[in-house]
Amino acid sequence: MTLTNIDVSAATAEPEAKTVEGRSQWQLTWRRLRADKVSTIALVVIVIMVVLAIIAPVFAAITGHPVDQAYPITGENASGNPVPPGTNGFLLGTDSTGRDLLVRILYGARISLFVGIVSTGIAAVLGVAIGLMAGYFGGFIDTILARFTDAVLAFPYVLLAIALAAVFGPSLTLIMVMVTFFSWAGIARIVRGQTLSIKEKEYIEAARSLGAGPFRIMFVDILPNLLAPVLVIATLYIPNAIVFESTLSFLGLGIQPPTPSWGNMLADASNFYQVAWWYLLFPALFLLITTLAFNLLGDGIRDAMDPRTERLILARRMRKRREKAAKEALAAAGPGSGPGSGPTTPDTVREPFGG
Amino acid sequence: MAGSTDDNVLVRVENLVKYFPVKAGGFIRHTVGQVHAVDDVSLVVERGKTLGLVGETGSGKSTLARCVAGLIPPTSGKVIFDGKDITKLSRGAMRPLRREVQMIFQDPYSSLNPRRRVGAIIGDPFTIHKTATGAERKRKVQELMERVGLNPEHYNRFPAEFSGGQRQRIGVARALALRPKLIICDEPVSALDVSIQAQVLNLLADLQQEYGLSYLFIAHDLEVVRHVSDKVAVMYLGRIGEAAPADALYERPRHPYTVALLSAAPAADPDAAAARQRVILVGDVPSPIDPPAGCRFHPRCPKAEDICGRVEPPLVPDDEAGQPANDGQSAADASQPGAAVPGGSLHVTACHFPVVPGERLVSAGGAGAMKGEPS
Repeated sequence: MTLTNIDVSAATAEPEAKTVEGRSQWQLTWRRLRADKVSTIALVVIVIMVVLAIIAPVFAAITGHPVDQAYPITGENASGNPVPPGTNGFLLGTDSTGRDLLVRILYGARISLFVGIVSTGIAAVLGVAIGLMAGYFGGFIDTILARFTDAVLAFPYVLLAIALAAVFGPSLTLIMVMVTFFSWAGIARIVRGQTLSIKEKEYIEAARSLGAGPFRIMFVDILPNLLAPVLVIATLYIPNAIVFESTLSFLGLGIQPPTPSWGNMLADASNFYQVAWWYLLFPALFLLITTLAFNLLGDGIRDAMDPRTERLILARRMRKRREKAAKEALAAAGPGSGPGSGPTTPDTVREPFGG
Repeated sequence: MAGSTDDNVLVRVENLVKYFPVKAGGFIRHTVGQVHAVDDVSLVVERGKTLGLVGETGSGKSTLARCVAGLIPPTSGKVIFDGKDITKLSRGAMRPLRREVQMIFQDPYSSLNPRRRVGAIIGDPFTIHKTATGAERKRKVQELMERVGLNPEHYNRFPAEFSGGQRQRIGVARALALRPKLIICDEPVSALDVSIQAQVLNLLADLQQEYGLSYLFIAHDLEVVRHVSDKVAVMYLGRIGEAAPADALYERPRHPYTVALLSAAPAADPDAAAARQRVILVGDVPSPIDPPAGCRFHPRCPKAEDICGRVEPPLVPDDEAGQPANDGQSAADASQPGAAVPGGSLHVTACHFPVVPGERLVSAGGAGAMKGEPS
């Protein structure tokens, strides 16, 4: 029973520090995300936007312009039109009734971000639960859920929104229900697909052979592997939700004036853009920047989770450094000497692929 | 090696059959055929011993292992573990038995959840069976890690931070956690470097001695199986073709398939490699959806005759086939029940025309046997 008695303990003993903390997937992802400039900027923009939305009342207090307070004297010019940015302490000017545009935009951000993040969050929880069950149990449950998911994805949602708003009257709750209802299905479909592939892995079989039940397997063994794709798709769904809310509010089916929302502000501004360009521009700009930031962040997270893209980033960085080094070498050698004759070799800055 | 009385037998597999339905698409999915993954296999695993199971890819080794582990229900037949038939048990009734049978998987990369820390993976058995919690669980996990040659300080690491050999040790530690009686090793070293293979095999051997474990050891590497096994069974297309104590099987293979398999294994010594008889099989393994009638090996067998295609040869001890049982114990054990079951003490072969020692097999391709003595 002895082939070669290699000393097992000696082979694996490593002289290392006492506490060895494992580096998790999340830490690695975070590091890669930080290395990506676009994602970092997008994240910073989102954080700023969230902070601005949270401190909107503080801002209103500082400027002394409550959100619904109209200023017919200072906020409107002689012909009763909005005043431009910078006039009488209105940083971004005023709107059609002489209210502070900036304060209203920040209050609008509260609605947009709340609808976007909370509805998508609820949709993600629903989608994960449903997709996980469909993928794991398969069979009849899967068929029912898959058909239902398809039906939801095929639904003309603006039409449904108009119908529901007409019946129940427009409200924030209705918007959130609508957003959730149209978001969970896409998430569920992705989760189902992932679950189908993960449940064939040997570690799931290992868990079953240990006697783990289906719910333990779903939530302890499969769920951690789903968080990455769900995070990506949720991040990409948030701007959709924000745009959806704005669309409904623009159509008058969402947030009702005087409560500010980017959508209903844009609807009102469309009547005034000839005399007050700022009224149309700034809410639209905020909407654009916010949705763009979420989209870029989602893409960034997806790239950061995929180790192959790290190599791409590294390769790009490497190429840049090499070009720079070559240029410096060329400059140092002076004109006349051929390329590649410089003393600085690009090899010195080479980074290992894939760490 | 005592006789295979029932006291000595930990696992008895009786006429195990596992078919997988082949479904055709279209509107209504219907079964158009069956994959005969395991077809009427009986075997025994003795307490504290290792039964090696060899065969090509697709011969049904892993399916058999999963049936024995209770991971997939067999189509028919019984798996009797420690006197209890486990094939009919519900999931709840199966739970306590899960502690007794554990598995070590082939791929150390896919058998460990990449998103969970090693401490949690090895601690899973304790959590699931509620045998230890909190600090006690951590202590037990670290003991296990130490026992299998891992640094207990690496408790918080992720599987990706370990090498293939270390990962397989994690798998061994997980399997060992509940002190099982049987560990099913499904090609535990085939994904590892040769130098690492020896380490893991030594670890398994040490653990067997220390805890009195029984192994059902599946591999396609014949040398590895010979090294670890007390008894060896050879599978081909869902059936056992030959089984014997390890040395008997390797020194006096009787089934033409076993001879071919052994002759295909690379030999380290070039002189021995040049001298041995090479039996080159023609054709591929037939489809398990429609296995050949009679002996499953007959379409590729150099010795096949008319009867082989018609009559399925039973597994019989070699003395009944007209050859003397010359491994010493066989004669004494022959009277014991179960001795003639694969994994028992007899050399059994399912062949109408078993190979006699010294015989040269003519390759089925008609090229003739190579020069030299059969090893």
